[in-house]
Amino acid sequence: MIDSTDGDLARAVAARAPGSAEAETELYRRFAPRVRLYGLRHLHDEETARDLVQQVLLLTIEKLRDGLVRDTDRIASFILGVSRTMAKDLKRLEWRREKLREPFMASFLTEVPAADATLDVDRLERCLARLAERERVVVLLTFYAERTAGEVGKELGVTEGNVRVIRHRAIAHLRTCITSREVMP
Amino acid sequence: MPGCNAPIADDILLDYWVRDVTDSDETDPIEEHLFACGDCSARLHQITSLGAGLAALVRLGRVKGILSRSLLNRLQRDGVHVRLYSLSPGETVPCAVFPGDDLVVTALRADFSAADAVTLSVMGPGGSSIGMVDDVPVSRVDGEVLWALPAAIVRQMPSMRLQITLVSAGDTRAELGTYALDHTASPA
Repeated sequence: MIDSTDGDLARAVAARAPGSAEAETELYRRFAPRVRLYGLRHLHDEETARDLVQQVLLLTIEKLRDGLVRDTDRIASFILGVSRTMAKDLKRLEWRREKLREPFMASFLTEVPAADATLDVDRLERCLARLAERERVVVLLTFYAERTAGEVGKELGVTEGNVRVIRHRAIAHLRTCITSREVMP
Repeated sequence: MPGCNAPIADDILLDYWVRDVTDSDETDPIEEHLFACGDCSARLHQITSLGAGLAALVRLGRVKGILSRSLLNRLQRDGVHVRLYSLSPGETVPCAVFPGDDLVVTALRADFSAADAVTLSVMGPGGSSIGMVDDVPVSRVDGEVLWALPAAIVRQMPSMRLQITLVSAGDTRAELGTYALDHTASPA
């Protein structure tokens, strides 16, 4: 299953043949992180993003089982479309969470991937301390204060383009530092 | 799963994630690609995890170095217990860290009208160098530099006088102010 294309998985689910449950699980494993990121980006909240994952993939699997997805090779586009619609609904309406979820709950739907639990926060703290001051202030304003490059630029008296360059460089430094095997004091 | 034939560059992923790209003409193709590509969505996940980790560190007061005023305001709004000392040039202020403090911030006021950046240096007893921070961005509007230390670090410091100096960065190296903190150690 792990080597199957997205389209292969979608067709296996739609066929309702032996092995379709495995295909559903693999489809979920593959797309849940993508829908979660979409939810975080647009809904700004971890819990709501996790709800979005469950609702989107539940609906997707239902539509596949019912033969209502015409082009299974474009299942990724289908899931994105469902994500867009449901995210809009979530912004507008009260989320009728339990009513929608309970009748169809499958065991794998409860295992929504969370943020990266393997991130070593102590190491990240030491890596952050190694950044140049300007880089550190920019990443903190970006990720903690949730400021755009334009807003950060105004605050620090630099151009928006300059902020993007500093931010990109800082993230690259942090990723290198986090993944390196160097022993840090 | 096939690999990615046209990976999205990291800087574009970053701009997308922090909402510097909001026009649907730009975001739609990025999202189409992310949904179809496990490699790129995994790289975006790494970036977002890093961002979430950074935000978590700040909320815990585990950040040291220079802050901006808006960052400080946000920290206080989020319930981080900040002990704030404000000093003008030439001023000496007694300081200590108290139970419940998460972060100690020293606000150093000065005239930054002729400076884009400064160097902050900290000297301990006998003129020993404790630390130096280069290329500190300054806000001419705010007229202050905010220097932060986690309270957990300050609690380990013995009683002593800290001498802080701000010098304009670049060729001029003009002294903008000296400040002193009379630190009293926390009870053992």
